[in-house]
Amino acid sequence: MTLSGKTAIVTGGGRGIGRATVERLRAAGANVATCGRGARPADLGEAVLWVQADVALGTDAERIVVATRAQFGPADILVNNAGVQVEKPLTDTTDEDWDRVIGANCRGTFNMCRAFIPQAPEGGSIVNLGSISGEVADPSMAIYNASKGFVHALTRSIAIDHGPRIRCNAVRPGWIMTEMVEAGFSLARDPERAREDAVARHAMRRFGRPEDVAEAILWLVSDASGFVTGQCFTIDGGLTSASPLQPGLF
Amino acid sequence: MTGMLKGCVALVTGGRGGIGRAICARFLREGATVYAADLSDTGSTGNAPDASRFIQLDVTCEAETRAAMDRIAAEEGRLDVLVNAAGIEIEHTIEQTSLEDWNRIFAINVTGTFLPSKYALPLLRKGAAGGRMASVINFGSYDGFIADPGLAAYCATKGAVHALTRAMACDHGSEGIRVNAICPGYVDTPMLRSFFSGAGSGAGGGSLDTVLDQVKAVHPTRTCGTPEDIANLVNWLASDEARYASGQLWVLDGGLSAQVQQMKF
Repeated sequence: MTLSGKTAIVTGGGRGIGRATVERLRAAGANVATCGRGARPADLGEAVLWVQADVALGTDAERIVVATRAQFGPADILVNNAGVQVEKPLTDTTDEDWDRVIGANCRGTFNMCRAFIPQAPEGGSIVNLGSISGEVADPSMAIYNASKGFVHALTRSIAIDHGPRIRCNAVRPGWIMTEMVEAGFSLARDPERAREDAVARHAMRRFGRPEDVAEAILWLVSDASGFVTGQCFTIDGGLTSASPLQPGLF
Repeated sequence: MTGMLKGCVALVTGGRGGIGRAICARFLREGATVYAADLSDTGSTGNAPDASRFIQLDVTCEAETRAAMDRIAAEEGRLDVLVNAAGIEIEHTIEQTSLEDWNRIFAINVTGTFLPSKYALPLLRKGAAGGRMASVINFGSYDGFIADPGLAAYCATKGAVHALTRAMACDHGSEGIRVNAICPGYVDTPMLRSFFSGAGSGAGGGSLDTVLDQVKAVHPTRTCGTPEDIANLVNWLASDEARYASGQLWVLDGGLSAQVQQMKF
């Protein structure tokens, strides 16, 4: 699968799934731009364009697209990966928490799509990062769960409104071993046992790796998936295919 | 609330089992004339008969199914509510499942939904001719959406029932027949207790009470369902209050399947 001659924007490429996606798309031959709120990470490949920006701000989203275009030409591919989570039930969630989560996960995805779509050439492809948590609830993650439900619905709307010129799909990762998931386990009374128990609940008997998600994203942005649009793909090692109540775990 | 099914004629297959019996009892309280179809008058649970009219019926047998409908036609001339509650489960992976077992569970859970529905249609149309829509309620399961380990064929039959439910709703809605499926989670019945004490369940040798306590703890509502909980929703779907409800799969599971697998430690 080659992305030779294509230009991709991957938001939040500093670490985790975003970084793995940047590297996978680069390896497939694409020009890649990425962004984050901080300074350029020291270990980011030289050929990758870094734009210090906050996708929650409309002007920053525009700036990312303009900078990418100036460097590489129009962007063909957009991967909306930037996101944050807040581990709180609804009643503990503050206005600041709301602004942070909804700002990055919802408004950020919206801002980037709005800036990307008009300039994208025919055959453009958007992949949004949803989550299994947008389908079934993770406890104490109320606003995060809701923000991912937004992403799933927006994905379908963009596919319908902007086909055939643009395809738009989402991936729904399960528990991918990133700092975000580690933060989730830190809530457990016994994080080590919680981790073992969680692994046992996966048909694949392991957590996901950022690369697992990056491979799926590569397929979705490539021409190999040319008839695929408006869909949300779960990548969770079988976690949500199983009942939460598995007698074998008692 | 009583009288929600006043004047209605209802048939409940599996009507002497754990859940079927609770449905019959509720329908009787709501004023329906109730036929309970099952393999025997006491069912697998050995319960005493109730005021419903018993029909001996193997839902996999076409001739017996037609005979059951002939009897209802002769006695009442119509049917307003059909509940396809007869079902079994087999606690095996596909590797452990014999072809004979596979055919048996499909015969009871899927063919056993198809046959009574097929032969009830003329009676259901007569029921709907009175101006009140007739209602068919199939038994799916949350296992038709997500898998319990070691229940492969059961999960597959329930997925089939879900698809059949939508198809029947599309085909017969214009005739005044609504079709829905109820998809229970863990309901405290002899079937569930058998699952948790079965060798293949992986329940880890704990006592049944211990296992049931752990099961309850995984539910957001911290409890399993009761047959009466299921009967409450079946009653609503059977009643005219649900007249705009059709083609849907109604999950009733205490929130179990709404959550990502729960952290226990």
